[in-house]
Amino acid sequence: MSEQFSRRDFLKLAGLGAATTAILTGCGPASRYVKREPYQQMPEYNSVGQSTYYATTCRECAAGCGLVVRTYQGRAIKTEGNASHPLNLGKTCARGQATLQGLYNPDRVTDPNKTGSAMEWDAAIQVVADALKKYKPDEIAFLMGMAPDHLFDLVTDMANATGMNAPIRFGALGMFEARATLSKAAETLFGQAGLPFFDVGGAQVVLSFGANFLETWLSPIPYTRGFTGLREAKTKLRGKFVQFEARMSATGGKADEWVPLRPGTEALVALAIGQIAAEIRGGAMPKAFSSVDLLDVASKSGVKLEALEHLGELVATTNGVLAIPGGPALGQSNGLAVAEAVLALNAFAENIGKPGGVYLSALAPNQTEANRPASAKEMQEFVEKMASGAFKVLFVHGVNPVFELPKSIDFKSAMGSVEQVISFATFPDETSAEADYIFPDHHGLESWGYQRVATGTAQPVLSGAQPVVSPFYNTRATADVLIAAAQLAGGKFAEALPYKDEVEFLQTKVSSLMSESDGSFTAPDAFTFMAYFQQYGGWWKNTDARLSSGTSGILNANISAEEAQFAGEGEFFFVPFVSPTLAEAGANKPWLQELPDPTTTVMWNTWVEINPETAHELGLHNDDMVKVISEVGEVQAYVYLYPAIRPDTIAMPFGQGHTAYGRYAENRGANPANLLGGHFNEAGDLAFAGMRVKIEKISSAVSGVGLSRMESRMGVYGEALGEEH
Amino acid sequence: MIRPEEIKMSTEETGKWGMVIDQDICTGCQACVAACAMENNITFVGEEDAGYGRSMHWIRIERFWEGEYPEVKMTPQQPMLCQQCGHATCEPVCPAFATVHSQAEQLNLQVYNRCVGTRYCANNCPYQVRAFNWRDYQRPEPLPNQFNPDVTVRRMGVMEKCTFCIQRIHKAQDKAKSEGREVMDGEFTTACAQACPANAIVFGRVDNPESLVSQLSHKGHGVKHLEELGTLPNVTYFKGG
Repeated sequence: MSEQFSRRDFLKLAGLGAATTAILTGCGPASRYVKREPYQQMPEYNSVGQSTYYATTCRECAAGCGLVVRTYQGRAIKTEGNASHPLNLGKTCARGQATLQGLYNPDRVTDPNKTGSAMEWDAAIQVVADALKKYKPDEIAFLMGMAPDHLFDLVTDMANATGMNAPIRFGALGMFEARATLSKAAETLFGQAGLPFFDVGGAQVVLSFGANFLETWLSPIPYTRGFTGLREAKTKLRGKFVQFEARMSATGGKADEWVPLRPGTEALVALAIGQIAAEIRGGAMPKAFSSVDLLDVASKSGVKLEALEHLGELVATTNGVLAIPGGPALGQSNGLAVAEAVLALNAFAENIGKPGGVYLSALAPNQTEANRPASAKEMQEFVEKMASGAFKVLFVHGVNPVFELPKSIDFKSAMGSVEQVISFATFPDETSAEADYIFPDHHGLESWGYQRVATGTAQPVLSGAQPVVSPFYNTRATADVLIAAAQLAGGKFAEALPYKDEVEFLQTKVSSLMSESDGSFTAPDAFTFMAYFQQYGGWWKNTDARLSSGTSGILNANISAEEAQFAGEGEFFFVPFVSPTLAEAGANKPWLQELPDPTTTVMWNTWVEINPETAHELGLHNDDMVKVISEVGEVQAYVYLYPAIRPDTIAMPFGQGHTAYGRYAENRGANPANLLGGHFNEAGDLAFAGMRVKIEKISSAVSGVGLSRMESRMGVYGEALGEEH
Repeated sequence: MIRPEEIKMSTEETGKWGMVIDQDICTGCQACVAACAMENNITFVGEEDAGYGRSMHWIRIERFWEGEYPEVKMTPQQPMLCQQCGHATCEPVCPAFATVHSQAEQLNLQVYNRCVGTRYCANNCPYQVRAFNWRDYQRPEPLPNQFNPDVTVRRMGVMEKCTFCIQRIHKAQDKAKSEGREVMDGEFTTACAQACPANAIVFGRVDNPESLVSQLSHKGHGVKHLEELGTLPNVTYFKGG
């Protein structure tokens, strides 16, 4: 398709007039020239007062929800969910809504630059080409985020053809979800690794061991939809939800029963419930459940025997029990045993591969096996290699490891041992601040691409992305930079990426789906196929491809009934959790900052949650400044008296504490990752919830200084900050 | 002087828009709050002003605590927004007629260019859902590129509140009129209801017995907040639990 081809001509050709659709397609390279025009001069496809809508994929996390973005005179005005997208069915979370504040953020990287001084793109591409040519392939490393997948595929193709190191992926959300543990536990159930899929909507009783599935966990939109299904009494009784966790999460706040067990005893409690249920039901006692002693569990976990018996009875007598392991429960030294113990409850409930039960998530259409982001252990190995000088050049895209990794994994120092670090950051984050070059990628809404939907829907989904506006700054698609640099570098690199640009690469990848059956659409030729791909926001199969043939062998496995080990000294268990509103990368969007946290209603800051009784004993009040000290570091934050946390536990949200990342994020709050030591579970995930910490009071609350909370507004008028004590 | 018998309470049902919110499935995720802010050009105010209760949320999620640890419980999340009262307490106290009742949509309007900032309406609102622009809050370039051209941008000294996305109502009505038909149920919805991942918010015509919202609101276990004050709110809540 030539560049002279106008958008209107293409629309006529493909028969996609406005009469047939409200969502326009980007249609190949032509739409790269979507222009932002002054309001007096309309581009031909705009008319005054009319909006144009483009389907694309959200990039605020890696779940891959479909968006439809309303644009007006070349500006993106509003994001909405794509109603026909199987993953989110027209819905979005708060972060998806606020993605426009990333696009129009006043602090973006505007030009390619070398430690702050701007350069031309030709020179930038030459730098990348030189790096590819100059070093041996095994001295070149790529570190990428969990999205987008098309770029990961492009770099993987490049690595396969040239012998370069395969790209490694990481994201703090994956770390706090303990994806490696989930994946490994799923292997014992289904015989293959991958993300388990929990059909919350079809269940009658849900037991969640720490899984924060209504916040940021794996794919929050479909899980929230599932929760609605659980609660709505349309075809069945209203479902019951029990949450086991030491600190009430926003998810736990919705539970009918909240069980504050002692951190580290999740596996014991799950096995005890299994044992009681198996006894009630009669027959042979499954080996997995036989090893625990109920009185011992009750004393260790702090959950009374009567409570355990009540829960066991619930499991034994209800049809449709579903148990979910997740979050802090897995981020402990015995995380894998927790996952296995909880999955054994599902095997006992005989729900493997049944509605209301556990499946293995469907693979995306262009995927042959599940891949997961690197575990923290694998990241530690990667950083050790960096520090040893094994890598001469490191490319970083879509991830901010200096901020996201635990303090014990010192990415920042290791960057010093790499000759050249090239960042493709869209925002000036902590990692790009340390890089030698920043060659900024477009924002997600200015980008082409696709994302494989890893879990959350029964169908295999490849979610499509296209630019909804023209790039606002002098940024360039990283795929285009790599393709151009590979051509310049020549040899195997040029052979690996024989494309004119990113769009041609995408067309090649996407058109391979044309021969697949049961697709959401078919097309006579590759161009039309690509046009539909953009118009619909992706391509998906109409079949349920979840793996449902699991074994219940886990019931006869030896599951360790040991408590978790805790690192460090101190009187408190420490629970870091991902901020439900900010997640890993939301802190630079002012409206996300001003969303009240669902549990504490705090805005714009970091807090330490302490049980009011404990605080009283320690002489602590709301808004006192305290220092939290772990074996590897310390951070300071305001005290928040939280009524729903164990007296022996304190908790902090992850998401704030940036030292870079723009005006709305910088020098605000504290980063609990700076407290995390390098302890891992058997699957290699970080034991982020397996630490003990101390707290020290620094200063007392001062009137007018402290946490900004929404809840104060709900009090009596004039109840200003800091006055309640 | 208006005599009491002349005061007309807006109990009529014609053209009446309403909402049903199911607190049992609301997860408090704040998607509606963000969606509302993005749709309606609502400004953020920064940490300090937010701490003084000056944040401009047109919808907020209330949550309260019951009991003490370990028997502590979070009450069902309660999204609180302008209830679009049929007999609104904010309306009679406005000296500038800036907050008036619309006969066409049965909504409480806020006419920004009439508002002189007395804040009487906010003081008189039992739901505390009105937000006042205490300053001209900064939205540095290029953030204003995102402005919704269908919604006025407010400045210092002006009161604002939820409008039930009246710009969307009008757009749908215009479209329906040009096609010679009535607005269909579910043809459009408010920004909060559109975003809600739990489907906890349903919006539509309460005067149409066939509409989803009116069927839900007549289900029996719905509650209207502070109904005893005689405000005739147009939002029905399901407490659930």
